[in-house]
Amino acid sequence: MAALIEVLAAGLFHAAVLFLVAAGLQLVFGVQRILNLACGSFYALGAYLGVTAGGLALGAGLSPLLALPLLVLAGAAVAALGPPVERLLRLVYDRDESFQLLLTFALVLMFQDLIRMGWGSQPQQVEGVYLAYGQVQLGAARIPVWNLLVLAAAIAIAGGLGLFLQRTDFGRILRATAENRRMAASLGVDTGRVYAAVFTLGTALGGIGGALVVPAAAAVPEKAVELVVEAFAVVVIGGLGSMPGALAGAAIVGLLRAGALLVWPELELLAVYAVVVAVLLLRPAGLFGRPAA
Amino acid sequence: MLEIRDLRVDIAGSPILRGVSLAVGAGELVCLLGRNGAGKTTTLNAVMGHRRAAGGAIRFRGRDLLGLPPHRIARLGIGFSPEESEVFAELTVAENVALPTWTRPEGRPAEARIAHAYAVFPKLRQYLARGGAQLSGGERKMVSIARALALDPELLLLDEPFEGLSPLVIPEIARGIGAIRAEGRAVLIAESNLHHVPEEVDRVHVIERGEIVFGGTLAALRADPAAMAIVAAAA
Repeated sequence: MAALIEVLAAGLFHAAVLFLVAAGLQLVFGVQRILNLACGSFYALGAYLGVTAGGLALGAGLSPLLALPLLVLAGAAVAALGPPVERLLRLVYDRDESFQLLLTFALVLMFQDLIRMGWGSQPQQVEGVYLAYGQVQLGAARIPVWNLLVLAAAIAIAGGLGLFLQRTDFGRILRATAENRRMAASLGVDTGRVYAAVFTLGTALGGIGGALVVPAAAAVPEKAVELVVEAFAVVVIGGLGSMPGALAGAAIVGLLRAGALLVWPELELLAVYAVVVAVLLLRPAGLFGRPAA
Repeated sequence: MLEIRDLRVDIAGSPILRGVSLAVGAGELVCLLGRNGAGKTTTLNAVMGHRRAAGGAIRFRGRDLLGLPPHRIARLGIGFSPEESEVFAELTVAENVALPTWTRPEGRPAEARIAHAYAVFPKLRQYLARGGAQLSGGERKMVSIARALALDPELLLLDEPFEGLSPLVIPEIARGIGAIRAEGRAVLIAESNLHHVPEEVDRVHVIERGEIVFGGTLAALRADPAAMAIVAAAA
């Protein structure tokens, strides 16, 4: 029982982080119709910025209890890369998906080397934060409060994102642009600016996801590729371009991996991709996706 | 107000517009009449900046429009309602109509512009909360024109505003267009059916294979057998 609760908590923690990355991916795909593999790089960069910012701040005597807001800010700083990368992607907006995949995968490899140059190849972590918030005792199970905070932060971001998209004028302009770019432009929407803004927001989400993980798990340069693959499993399960899909997909992948670890660790990844295959066979558009017309 | 001179547009290497010239003066109602594929939609798309011109000039209130992106052209005061209406299904009727007041906030206050759009098509007030996908063809057309009107434009471009609509709603759309024109806005309608050309039209231009083959009043068109032959083939 205790083990089950602990695994569940770990799965939800992983799901929260996956959701942030997948939400960025979905947002960018929904509006720009571009599959951005580089979302994994933004996650990795967020992780390393988190390592650096966390290390500096804690070294300077910052209370570990302030690590959460600090890491969110450090991760969000990856957004600075949003506008220049979006500028580069304009080269492939109206081209075949294969160009988009090639270009964004090239970005993944380039960022991976840049990370090696900047931070080296050794795993790096923010020490002394993970358990600084204490643990919650649930029966015999102990759950680090950090995990719950990250879960709460992801839920808050999901809610904020939903409100932003549904209730603000810019959110409505964004949805209109996603549906029909030409018509939106005909009504005065500067769609180039909308694209840049959406991409930057997606970048920030990925970066925050990465930064929130480093107290719990070490960052390595290869993390980007791993995350891309997992984020794609999330969007295939949830449905490409759908925000509720990102939420459901992330929860399924997170819990499945954690659950597999408990019963049959060797099948951790297989379990995820078995579900991916099942979804592709039974409901190709994903749980929340609209079937392609 | 709008002046198109010797406009040439190529699509995929073939000339679609081969020297189109026409003008719409302030407060005028002008019709671009021609059969499907004659170049009407391409002309409107070129004005909106969706089609690159291979030559010629498009000027609006003295400003050169060629090379400007569509959103800048819209913000100069040109409202556009495309043939397929293109109402956003993701947004409600109210959000569709309000959208241009967010993108072009200058000018009259948003509330006045939105209220005015519904005054032209009062029926829409019943559907404010409906999604764009839950409307009939005629309702979508009304939303599309009302939305263009909420931009507070000096000129409206309407592409086939009656195409595919039930005969019952056509008079309602025609009345709305009449009301828009009566308040002094210029209107350019692309139309393939002579019977839909409003009697109060100031000028009709007949387009055929990318060229303007006739320009004049509706009475002059009716008196011109060559132009009427083309127009009759279209209807």
